[in-house]
Amino acid sequence: MTSIDVKDLTKRYGATRAVDGLTCRFEPGRVTGFLGPNGAGKSTTMRLVLGLDRPTSGTATVGGRPYAAYGEPLRAVGALLDAQAAHGSRTARDHLRLLAVSNRIPDRRVDEVLQDTGLAPAAGRRVKTFSLGMRQRLGIAAALLGDPPVLMLDEPANGLDPEGIVWIRRLLRRLADEGRTVLVSSHLMNETAAFADHLVVLARGRLLADLPVEDFIDRYSHPRVRVRTGDPVRLRAALRAAGHTVEEGADGRWTVEGARAEEVGAVAAREGVPVLELADERASLEQAYLALTAGGTEFAAAPSPSPTAPQEV
Amino acid sequence: MSVTAVLHSEWIKIRSVRASLGSLVAVLAVALAVTLLVYSTIGKAEAENGGDPVFEAFYPVNFTQIAALSFGATAVSSEYAHNALRVSLSAVPHRGLLYAAKTAVLAGAALCVGLVSSFATFLTGQAFLDEYAVGIGEPGALRACVGGGVYLALMTLFAAGLTFLLRSAVAVLSLLIPFILIVSFVIGDIADGVSRYLPDRAGQQVLYQHPAGEVGPWAGLGVTALWAAAALLAGWLAVRRRDV
Repeated sequence: MTSIDVKDLTKRYGATRAVDGLTCRFEPGRVTGFLGPNGAGKSTTMRLVLGLDRPTSGTATVGGRPYAAYGEPLRAVGALLDAQAAHGSRTARDHLRLLAVSNRIPDRRVDEVLQDTGLAPAAGRRVKTFSLGMRQRLGIAAALLGDPPVLMLDEPANGLDPEGIVWIRRLLRRLADEGRTVLVSSHLMNETAAFADHLVVLARGRLLADLPVEDFIDRYSHPRVRVRTGDPVRLRAALRAAGHTVEEGADGRWTVEGARAEEVGAVAAREGVPVLELADERASLEQAYLALTAGGTEFAAAPSPSPTAPQEV
Repeated sequence: MSVTAVLHSEWIKIRSVRASLGSLVAVLAVALAVTLLVYSTIGKAEAENGGDPVFEAFYPVNFTQIAALSFGATAVSSEYAHNALRVSLSAVPHRGLLYAAKTAVLAGAALCVGLVSSFATFLTGQAFLDEYAVGIGEPGALRACVGGGVYLALMTLFAAGLTFLLRSAVAVLSLLIPFILIVSFVIGDIADGVSRYLPDRAGQQVLYQHPAGEVGPWAGLGVTALWAAAALLAGWLAVRRRDV
């Protein structure tokens, strides 16, 4: 099992601290969403893990070793940092081949990853003719080349069409289920909550949260139920009697703040009120995330199955 | 890591990008084109005017050296387009190995093509000169053919080192090409002392049957080698410590 360990990592560019005393661990067997607004330090952290940038202080290791200590590192970590990085004048196959050759990865893997990412028909085309979505797929293909236990993908869904987004979600899930460490950065909360098991949230280079997605949702999203009924008068009376606040929406739907669908359903059933529509709403997840990152809200330690303790900010 | 594997990977990088492969091919193609054009037309007239018979045979080097510089510059600058170096260093994180492998492949490719280009220039050009022709047995001719190939390889490395430093083929070529075509030419006529040690002037001493001045043919090539080594060292110091 290979995890990524970041300890007291700081990277300063001139006066700005891109990463500021970051300590966290990215664990195998799950998809970790690496969240934060643009400039939060996500990409810098990934470059530091790969040894592309030198840390001002602190360490970043993969499986307990610095990245550069791996003899054939593409077999240890697959990374997608920038989908534009493949030279436009090369064909997709040449781009993958030169990477494979350097790490003594057999040519057959090049064809396999081209197949897996749906690029096989375009393998002989020059990369400059590729759409952004195809470049993302090529970057993901390069990350998969060495069949690595650790994957680090910087905004992999960027530029993918809806079909591509479904594809990448399934891929990430499969990779994590195979026991790999999957780290995926994004600046969009809702998108990330759709596929991640765990969240690490950064803002201004600092750790704000390190917890399972479910805990984040429980903590930050405000539960609310949307209900439509054939007998609003009786239902409203019953819900008020049960201690709920009920508001009438413009379209004849009612919202019940702070409640869950099962509670509202139980009340309606007890009263024998016909329910035409009943659903949980989690409208405030994105806002909670924005408030967390923009306000620099400190996040107190949340119960987490991982040994990683969210760090004091 | 396997050195052979990294060398192979670097070779794929060169041959899979049009600009660098094209420049490498141009080292030979330009030599042949200029040779055919010049020696078939004004070759004999020029030979009648006298001059160093061996150096006269290498007139196309003025053009092939530009191709050699372009080859060195574009092969390196492809690493700096869109942060491609990040991908390269992810595959080969040992920076010294990556740098040495790229330099070695550039040197090898430029030397092979440079030697063929140099011999082809000499032999093809002389074929048009009838009674003025000199053979490969002429004193200094073989040395000039071999030295010419080495000279082209050194100019490739000189440009490569500078491109690692400046990260742009456009910057390096717009510095070197005017320098070689104009500055070196003008300074060479004005101040003969220092200009002998400029990379192109010094290196081209090897192309003369009777090199003038205190810098000998091989010593001149040595001076060019020092320029190339200095550029590569500067490039390495930049690559070694820079964030990418």
